[in-house]
Amino acid sequence: MPDALTSARDLVGTLVADRADAWDAAGRLPEDLLRDLGGRGLLCAEVPGSYGGLGAGSRDSGEFTAYVGSLCGSLRSIMTSQGMAAWTVRRLGDQDQRAAYLPRLTSGELAAVGFSEPDAGSDLSAMTTSVRVEDDVVVLDGEKMWVTGACYADLLVVFARSEDDVVVVVVPTATPGVTVERIPDPLGCRAAGHANVRFSSVRLPASAVLGGTGLSLLATTALAYGRISVAWGCVGILRACLNAAVTHARTREQFGKPLARHQLVARHLAELLVSEQVATRACEHASDLWDARSPDLVTAVVLAKHVAAGHAARGAATATQVLASAGAAHGHVVARAYRDAKLMEIIEGSTEICQLILAEHAVATVA
Amino acid sequence: MMADHAEVTERTVVAELLTFLEERTKSAVTEDQDLFATGAVSSMFAMQLVVHLEEAYDVTIVGGDLKQVNFRTVRAMAELVLRLREAQGVTGGA
Repeated sequence: MPDALTSARDLVGTLVADRADAWDAAGRLPEDLLRDLGGRGLLCAEVPGSYGGLGAGSRDSGEFTAYVGSLCGSLRSIMTSQGMAAWTVRRLGDQDQRAAYLPRLTSGELAAVGFSEPDAGSDLSAMTTSVRVEDDVVVLDGEKMWVTGACYADLLVVFARSEDDVVVVVVPTATPGVTVERIPDPLGCRAAGHANVRFSSVRLPASAVLGGTGLSLLATTALAYGRISVAWGCVGILRACLNAAVTHARTREQFGKPLARHQLVARHLAELLVSEQVATRACEHASDLWDARSPDLVTAVVLAKHVAAGHAARGAATATQVLASAGAAHGHVVARAYRDAKLMEIIEGSTEICQLILAEHAVATVA
Repeated sequence: MMADHAEVTERTVVAELLTFLEERTKSAVTEDQDLFATGAVSSMFAMQLVVHLEEAYDVTIVGGDLKQVNFRTVRAMAELVLRLREAQGVTGGA
């Protein structure tokens, strides 16, 4: 792991400390914390040094993401959004666009990515948000839903339909015609700044439209980063749950012995360990393929996300069962994990969409 | 994979891609076949092609080059690779 990310673990550990529960209850992260971490390049650690980033590989960035995810799912969600925005600009942007936007994402500005719409969720081909050329500007109209981090974002990276294709537009949130409407009471990752965003005749320079075109290629590219980031975040959820469950089961006594000595509870601990290890291995494999630039990364990332999210949801439920009343208060680490993990089975490709992709891959490749 | 420092020409890229596609999709394709229209490859596979071309030919495919028409046929991909190697000053073999 690069030195910067090793020392960053201590920094983030100190900054978050025991505050995640209160952030979850309030539904807000401190904005100065986000800008501080962003300015250190820690919210999108894989951006190359030439753009002010830390140049981390996927494996190192993933381990860091898991660490943050073990502390606070909302903060980890912000990292996923910022990282996905940066990755999208890096891949879809032309040279001038990369030079214009990436340094902003490593110097304290925050970004979010808009995919879903009222009538376009898993089927992004149904999206209607549109961008049209008008003289020397482009005009954006439409609505995006459940944009993670939008409440904090300076820049919105928005998928939209152009006259003949699908493109991605970078929209400063402060542009006239942009309305960010906070989702007041989300189930999980409650402080991640989810919002519905409306665009009403938003006028932007033509240079705001990134160079890449085509829905499937663009969405697959952007989501690949989001999926591996979410998967590592789920590893973090599992580590937090394993830690909380084991600590509790070692010390809490019932019927004259620690919970861990009761066989039915011990089985829960075993399965939590298995979940944490299985999810970790799936993520390591996908990130290693990513760092090796192997084409197999595309499927491995979907598999890692599917495996890690499923284990996180089951593991969080198990940990809540072990903690019982001790973990049932709303902001408790296992209660947060329970709610956050469920959303991980939905975001960046639901479990069912991941299964469809993996089934398609199996049918196409098994001899 | 070809030997180091083998000359990279449209013919060598086409041949290597046909093999890559046949191995990965378990079906034979031709160099002018529309891979997406004929269902030979999925949208997920398009990204695999991007990563493969970047790694195998030491090019970076970003921005305006990242569009589906560049990956629609084996010949289109070969033309993209040769153009990017020229533009990005790649001289080594694949």
